[in-house]
Amino acid sequence: MRVRVDLDLCQGHGVCANESPEVFELDGDVARVIEEQPAAERHEGVRLAAKYCPTGAITIEEE
Amino acid sequence: MSQATPAIATDDAPAAPRRSRGNAPPVLSRNLPLLGHLLELRKHPIELFTRVRSECGEIGEMNFAGNRVVLLTGERAQEAFFRADEEQLDQAAAYPFMTPVFGRGVLFDGNPEQRRQAMKNQSLRDKMMRGHAETIANETRRMMEKLGDAGEVDLLDFFAELTLYTSSACLIGPEFREELSPEYYRVFYELEKGTDPIAYVNPYLPLPTFRRRDRARARLVELLTEVFERRAARTDGKRELFDVLLSIRDESGKPRYTIDQVTGMFISMMFAGHHTTSGTAAWTLIEMLRNPGVLPPVREEIDALYADGREVSYQALREIPRLEAAIKETLRLHPPLIILMRKVMRDFDYLDFTVPAGKLVAVSPAVSNRMPECFPEPDRFDPARYDEGRAEDRQLFAWIPFGAGRHRCVGAAFAMMQLKAIFSDLLLRYDFELTQPPESYRNDHSKMVVQLRQPCRARYRRRSA
Repeated sequence: MRVRVDLDLCQGHGVCANESPEVFELDGDVARVIEEQPAAERHEGVRLAAKYCPTGAITIEEE
Repeated sequence: MSQATPAIATDDAPAAPRRSRGNAPPVLSRNLPLLGHLLELRKHPIELFTRVRSECGEIGEMNFAGNRVVLLTGERAQEAFFRADEEQLDQAAAYPFMTPVFGRGVLFDGNPEQRRQAMKNQSLRDKMMRGHAETIANETRRMMEKLGDAGEVDLLDFFAELTLYTSSACLIGPEFREELSPEYYRVFYELEKGTDPIAYVNPYLPLPTFRRRDRARARLVELLTEVFERRAARTDGKRELFDVLLSIRDESGKPRYTIDQVTGMFISMMFAGHHTTSGTAAWTLIEMLRNPGVLPPVREEIDALYADGREVSYQALREIPRLEAAIKETLRLHPPLIILMRKVMRDFDYLDFTVPAGKLVAVSPAVSNRMPECFPEPDRFDPARYDEGRAEDRQLFAWIPFGAGRHRCVGAAFAMMQLKAIFSDLLLRYDFELTQPPESYRNDHSKMVVQLRQPCRARYRRRSA
């Protein structure tokens, strides 16, 4: 799995950092991906982050 | 193209090297002398914007009393608009009809960075949403107590009052909310009605609608002055957002913000989060009632969710897909803002066209949300569009009731949660029925702030336990 945040879309609501704090953090106004290829046990949290992201800024490429 | 005259060089950049320019966008027909398309804008704005798309294609120019507004339509052109940075496309000065409403020194002054800071509202962060869900449930219950067992309401009045309380309690503070009365939403209504597009000629013309707007604003300052004088005098109680702002001093010890400015901030928050949500709430109920087959499954979903007597919770509200789809479909068909504008600060190129600095560019949610290539059978109310396989709202630059990109409505998640909280409670406890012919519920588009036309009434009866 590979995770990306589209910074043209992100507004820093922080849903991702709440859902999956190991993979995302809020860096000032916007989200930052800490772990671009998250370990398997974090995939569920990443999927929730993408699902609930209010701006649809997170894309996941499953490998 | 008749409008191919080069833009007048600005005084501050006389020696700028000449860049190659694309074509000027085509100008929409029926461009009257002086007023341009202003009369059409005041009468049939959505038809006007739709005409740009059918006549000119993805890019076409309108003329609002000398203000040139280039409308971009279609997913691709809209993406270019929404992805442009603020240094190129700026919100400042794009909304002249708002300055007398907000007042000077509020929201649209200052550079983009200052506005980014000012707009950053912690109360909209995800972490705050759990508490907001509870606050909204409480406010909804208080309104329901006033409803009693059965009766009739005007939907605009009912939801305007409810969302005034929910928005102010969540975004400003619970004590401030207690200061509010129905007079406030009536004052806001006058302010909203004061957004006549004639403001493109001059927002201070001596017209009754502008006079009422200015009186309403003055009354709001008066009401808030009294509130804050009382709050400043007390020794106990919490310090909420506005108390803090009013207590800030500058280097010389003078208050940083006047009550007039704080009133402006209150107005700008309410313009962003009040009439928009209240109109959407009213339309959601109308659409659920007038489209057969929509309400029963939503009802089932809500009944199942609260079958065990659980309280409304944030997590429950996140997983309520049928109600959410009904709200999304309402937003698609009745977006609260029908046009979003930016001022071009640096020449904006799209395909072979160039929009020179100084003009305005715009996108219309009302047009976009009904583009048949993105939304099959666009005029049909069809909540199944948001089912997993279709997910038509994932067309981020086409499904745009909240706009898109960096300037997308920051309150969108809050608004969705608020609407879900309100309806899960209301529909759990009441049955509703329209009292007017279904097609008589319509929006009034004669002002830039779209409002449901009154009367818009519904009957209600408490459900048996």
